[in-house]
Amino acid sequence: METRTRVLMAKPGIDGHWRGAKIVTTALRDAGMEVIFAGNMSPEAIAKVAVQEDVDVVGLSILAAGHMRLIQRVLQALQEEKVKDIAVVVGGTIPQEDIPRLKELGVDGVFPSGSKTELIVEFVKQKMSQKKSSV
Amino acid sequence: MEYSATKSATTTGSNIPVKEVYTPEDIEEFDYNRDLGLPGKEPYTRGIYSNMYRGKLWTIRQFSGFATPEETNKRFKYKYENGETGFSISFDSVTENGLDPDDPRAEDEVGQSGVSVSSLADMETVFQGLPIDKVSTAVITSQWTSPALAAMYFAMAEKLGVSLKEVNGTSQNDPYVFTLCCNVIDCVTPPHLLRLSVDLIEWCAQEVPHWHPVSFASYNYRENGCNAHQELGMLFANAVGYIEEELKRNRLKIDDFGPVLSFHLAAHNDFFEEIAKFRAARRMWYKLMKERYGAQDPRSLAFRFHVQTSGSTHIYQQVLNNSVRLAYQVLAAALGGAQSIHCNSYDEPVCLPTDQGVLLSIRTQQIAQYETNIANVADPLGGSYYMEWLTNEVEKRAWEYFQEIEHRGGLLEVWQSGWMHREAANAMEERQREITSGETKIVGLNCFEMAEEPYQVPVFRPNPQSTEIQADKVRKLRQERDNQKVKQCLENLRQVSLSGENVMPALMEAVKAYATLGEIQDVWRSIYPKWKVPIEY
Repeated sequence: METRTRVLMAKPGIDGHWRGAKIVTTALRDAGMEVIFAGNMSPEAIAKVAVQEDVDVVGLSILAAGHMRLIQRVLQALQEEKVKDIAVVVGGTIPQEDIPRLKELGVDGVFPSGSKTELIVEFVKQKMSQKKSSV
Repeated sequence: MEYSATKSATTTGSNIPVKEVYTPEDIEEFDYNRDLGLPGKEPYTRGIYSNMYRGKLWTIRQFSGFATPEETNKRFKYKYENGETGFSISFDSVTENGLDPDDPRAEDEVGQSGVSVSSLADMETVFQGLPIDKVSTAVITSQWTSPALAAMYFAMAEKLGVSLKEVNGTSQNDPYVFTLCCNVIDCVTPPHLLRLSVDLIEWCAQEVPHWHPVSFASYNYRENGCNAHQELGMLFANAVGYIEEELKRNRLKIDDFGPVLSFHLAAHNDFFEEIAKFRAARRMWYKLMKERYGAQDPRSLAFRFHVQTSGSTHIYQQVLNNSVRLAYQVLAAALGGAQSIHCNSYDEPVCLPTDQGVLLSIRTQQIAQYETNIANVADPLGGSYYMEWLTNEVEKRAWEYFQEIEHRGGLLEVWQSGWMHREAANAMEERQREITSGETKIVGLNCFEMAEEPYQVPVFRPNPQSTEIQADKVRKLRQERDNQKVKQCLENLRQVSLSGENVMPALMEAVKAYATLGEIQDVWRSIYPKWKVPIEY
């Protein structure tokens, strides 16, 4: 039996704009994935929950300009948890010019506000098939 | 999918089926005096003033704020110099959550999504050199922090020599904005939130006569996915919840506080439906105030509202297209008779607005006001078969939704049970599925897409040092002020909060002694139960 892809969807920090995270959660669930919707959490808590819940993907939704600092903290916390095979996908108010830098830092995919949800679903599926073939 | 085959081609944006053409038969029951009347006359469908924009153009009120109070002050001056006619202040997530900038939870977010204000000192800096005796201000924050930030604004005004009897503006103070649409960490349960909000209304109605201490913000319900009639149904159910809380206290009569209530609606993409919605809202408010509460004062019966263009309709793809969406939305708001308008900026899917983005938003409004002649005639669409039919239809559906909320127990019940949260989530999912399937077309997203982004636009970045600067400032403030006095004021606030008296006089004393926002909210956190927002997702 095929195991379902597990996703942790979180908003690092305390900004309360949840709509994007909810929309992507619904799209991934519609595509058959299991999504834990965590809401607001500190970067360190996100990394801990990701490990505890044994997720394949961490989705981070950020709409409040502090994205570089917040994402770096999440990536660092994941490293400290010795996570290697969790994909990190970011969405929200992210300027195009920041995307290359985020990828260098270790973010797998970036989807700014208004992205097609089917592209996000497709991206996650592709990541998962790469992961399987590399096992 | 061809456009003619989509649902959009035969329905409104809120999925109301529409015919190819409308004729007198569609409004057979129409009675001019009963349903419309003249502008400025009951039932106010056509507008709340007899001469509408000839008397006063709508206020250009651009919501903004970022980084430190000094930097926001500069932006406010830039907007004012370029013809903005009303101020509106946007706070960062730290302030909206009622935390101080040196709180560990604030570490990455001070000044990022709005301006950081944690004391009267910061509020004084934001408005330094601005003519707040002539220009009104909207203080837009969570319900949770509305009383304290309003108090800081009032204390700032008094220090500048503008008395409470003269100070003019609005507090958002809406029940749902930050519990339904945005989350607030670490706040108290709805009955206590309601009490604090109604305290602000009650006190302002008596002490600050030109202040609108609440602006029921269905803009935010709409942005969270609701459709046009849900927007109005929820709006009036919430207003009723506040009104009944005040009437229950037996301190004020309906006409003592009816005139200070105000509203903040969305202008979404369906042009005619949005205009119909604004017209329906005026008629509904009139009926509610007159028939349910027996209000007599014309100011209680008149529905005063601000409109914001719909942020959720803006996308990052072909980003300049947003300025076209914005112009149509501003036009709908103006034809709908709004008292003030915020035009978002085209670059908001990418960043906080740049100076140029904000300038274009102000100019978009000025071009509508000065070049198109739309301001010459009140309710120019009144009498159109389609417009009158659609106004009736939106009203009918909004009353049904309003009644459903009443049937479920009203504001507090649907707020606490999570029913309202589920309604909004369902509506949001439905809209998203329509976009994904192509039933709803979005240019640049699911039609007329381009592989390469054609527009390269500048990006605004709020000062990355904001956290350190603001945290240092608040630490210094705590050293320099009279801490004995602050302690007394906070203890007094605690006593008054427990007693059930109106908290505002004690709150005013606390902010004047430079108690910080975090300290004030902590008083309430320490005496009221913490609320976990019922979002099951």
